[in-house]
Amino acid sequence: MQVTLERVTHTYQPGSPFQATAIQDVNMTVREGEFLALIGHTGSGKSTLAQHINGLLKPTSGRVLLDGQDIHQKGFDKREVRKTVGLVFQYPEHQLFEETVFKDVGFGPKNLGLSEAEIKERVVEALQKVGLGDKEIMEKSPFELSGGQMRRVAMAGVLAMRPRILVLDEPAAGLDPQSREDMLQLISGLHKQGSTVVMISHSMDDVARFATRAVVMEHGTIAMEGTPEEIFRHAERLEGMGLDVPSVCKLGMKLRAMGLPCPEDVFREEQALPAMLTLWKEGKRHGAE
Amino acid sequence: MALNNITLGQYYPADSVVHRMDPRVKILLLIAVIVAIFLAGNLLAFVPVIAFLVIVTKLSKVPVKMMLKGLKPLRLILILTFVLNLFFLQGETVLLDLGFAQIKRESLILAVHYSLRLVLLVLFSSILTLTTPPITLTDGLERLLSPLRVIHFPAHEMAMMMSIALRFIPTLMEEADKIMKAQTARGADFESGNLIARAKAMVPLLVPLFVSAFRRAGDLAMAMEARCYHGGEGRTRLRVLKCEKRDYIACAVVALLIAVVVLLGYIY
Amino acid sequence: MAEPIISVDHVSFSYDEGGPMAVRDVSLTIERGSFHAILGQNGSGKSTLAKLINGLYLPTEGHVTVCGMDTQDDGKTWEIRRRAGMVFQNPDNQLVATVVREDVAFGLENIGVPTAEMPARIDKALTDVGMLKFADRAPHLLSGGQKQRVAIAGVLAMAPEAIIFDESTAMLDPQGRREVMQAVKRLNKEQGITVLWITHFMEEAVECDFAHVMYQGQIVLSGTPREIFSDVERIRPYRLDAPPMARLAEQLRAQGMPLKEGILTVDEMAEEVARLCK
Repeated sequence: MQVTLERVTHTYQPGSPFQATAIQDVNMTVREGEFLALIGHTGSGKSTLAQHINGLLKPTSGRVLLDGQDIHQKGFDKREVRKTVGLVFQYPEHQLFEETVFKDVGFGPKNLGLSEAEIKERVVEALQKVGLGDKEIMEKSPFELSGGQMRRVAMAGVLAMRPRILVLDEPAAGLDPQSREDMLQLISGLHKQGSTVVMISHSMDDVARFATRAVVMEHGTIAMEGTPEEIFRHAERLEGMGLDVPSVCKLGMKLRAMGLPCPEDVFREEQALPAMLTLWKEGKRHGAE
Repeated sequence: MALNNITLGQYYPADSVVHRMDPRVKILLLIAVIVAIFLAGNLLAFVPVIAFLVIVTKLSKVPVKMMLKGLKPLRLILILTFVLNLFFLQGETVLLDLGFAQIKRESLILAVHYSLRLVLLVLFSSILTLTTPPITLTDGLERLLSPLRVIHFPAHEMAMMMSIALRFIPTLMEEADKIMKAQTARGADFESGNLIARAKAMVPLLVPLFVSAFRRAGDLAMAMEARCYHGGEGRTRLRVLKCEKRDYIACAVVALLIAVVVLLGYIY
Repeated sequence: MAEPIISVDHVSFSYDEGGPMAVRDVSLTIERGSFHAILGQNGSGKSTLAKLINGLYLPTEGHVTVCGMDTQDDGKTWEIRRRAGMVFQNPDNQLVATVVREDVAFGLENIGVPTAEMPARIDKALTDVGMLKFADRAPHLLSGGQKQRVAIAGVLAMAPEAIIFDESTAMLDPQGRREVMQAVKRLNKEQGITVLWITHFMEEAVECDFAHVMYQGQIVLSGTPREIFSDVERIRPYRLDAPPMARLAEQLRAQGMPLKEGILTVDEMAEEVARLCK
């Protein structure tokens, strides 16, 4: 399963005085099984881009292809896209509405026209995935839960559609460190189990830790694209766009500026430890000579 | 993002003498002009009113197209007023015999009169809303109604409610758009089905929207208290409404207009 | 030591009578002109504490004194709120007016500042947070960081002596967070405004003069950020994230690298590594 965006442009309110082009001539493919990070400033067009991946927004020009099929073509069943691509919005807990957690998570499967038994199976499965499989929680009102739990329920609501591709718009925004870490581990787990993940994120440390590939958006176009190694090698360029770089990356830049031979492909925390130790041992050896 | 730029009401920003006028004066003068329109006893008496409308429109720098847009939703009522009056009013001089009905001179004149009255009412009201931002309008209303505090009319509270509503409408619309998209992503369908099905489909939109509105209201109340808000008592205002020369001139012109209209009604 | 501007004396607070205590026996003194951070996870009681200081909540037990006034003294409520202003979390839910300038005026109108004085105070406040050129914009068209700076201007115009920030950066993107943090630091340095910064972001607490960690309604650690956060083991039980460089330093020390204690930032780490390697 892969989604391809072909020369996609999206203009809001075309023809009005408020006309604004959010993305311009974007070519991109979401590949099966990858963990793709979408990076960029607020207003760089990454949210608009994400909403094209599951056909919520229709391109002003260009095509969106699901396994080669144009999803906006006449006769193409949109439900097919909704089933395949699950979209989790920012602060998804704000869309909860049902009396019980069970019913809320079941909303998607119900819309797919599944039987009671199938709905139940999917709801239980989805809630277990997000770590809320407790029977007691299922019968609770979603509004009685803590913020972190509410967010996981909302996520289960999307997982219950059994999407092959999961698109998440800043899934950890506003959470405290512990809930943040839980959420990221949950997403990483889904990826390891075979889901394709597209994640919008402002945290470069998270991108460094989890992504297999990253796309950097600026002013509605793709500015950089590649593996985290390739992206963070150009840390100066990211900083030039006003974006953060992982702190380990900053440390490397600083050390190189001081004349120390710190390698450029060190950007994850676990890479920093051996790199610093190597530097130190090298230094000691030189000192001894 | 898609809804960021919605305009509220129909305010047309421009720098004109009409825009700068005191909103209180504008509201009162609108009432006076409406009275004048009702006082106009014959078609001739409309001439100065129309002339006044043309001048004010010119002064306001609002494009005529924008003005006429205000009439669009009323076109059905306008046609109906005209046609019904044309055929059902009594008269003597037959102008045209259609066989099934007759058009008489008197009824034609009255039909024109009533339709014109409606058009003028709408156009003059449009001038007020096109040249006054909603918030200023609210302000003007608050000041005009504040003497009613004596009979416990909550003028300040009404105005505060209005202004908060104006502030939050764009925010809530954006939110509604987002929730709708989120539910659509879960397979919800807001567009097809009969009326009942569609009303039911609104529940996943309306419940989160209400929950959010209540949460925002709670937050806002706390923020307002933290900024020392404690009702209208002892409050000063940033914007003080002041009548200036242009406002007095406008009053004089409208007074004159009423006099002319009444006079023309008498003469003919 | 400078005179205390805020003092919290053995305060406990419960939302429901007889219910669980959200804040338990907290004592805290904040000196005039200082920059304090309160750090804690969600539900640790840090936001409740903020609202107790500004008189939005009244203590179930104990006393909160702001500029010598007890928050339980009914007649002093408005004076306390004027002197110790507050900026909240959600940028959308604290702006009242449809135009930036008028929103900043809101507080001034409430405390009865004469109309003639207002424009100058508004312009000054907007200038101080770098938002003057947006004075005539509608708030909903601003970015999150800009909205929060408008909210700060609204408090600032009222000439407060202290400002309490109740997770004011939690909903912002990194750029918005930087904007707000910079504006606040400037106000603290240049105008001597006392700041109480409530957050769950470790990176922000590191930038303050003094930090307190809250856990389950109590203050469990107090000290300079260096004292508290460079010791990864000490903060672990309170479910806080140690700064990445402190974590790295700890791991390197375990491998025998003789790094000095108290490393928090990238700059400190780079200098220390350079010192050892050259």
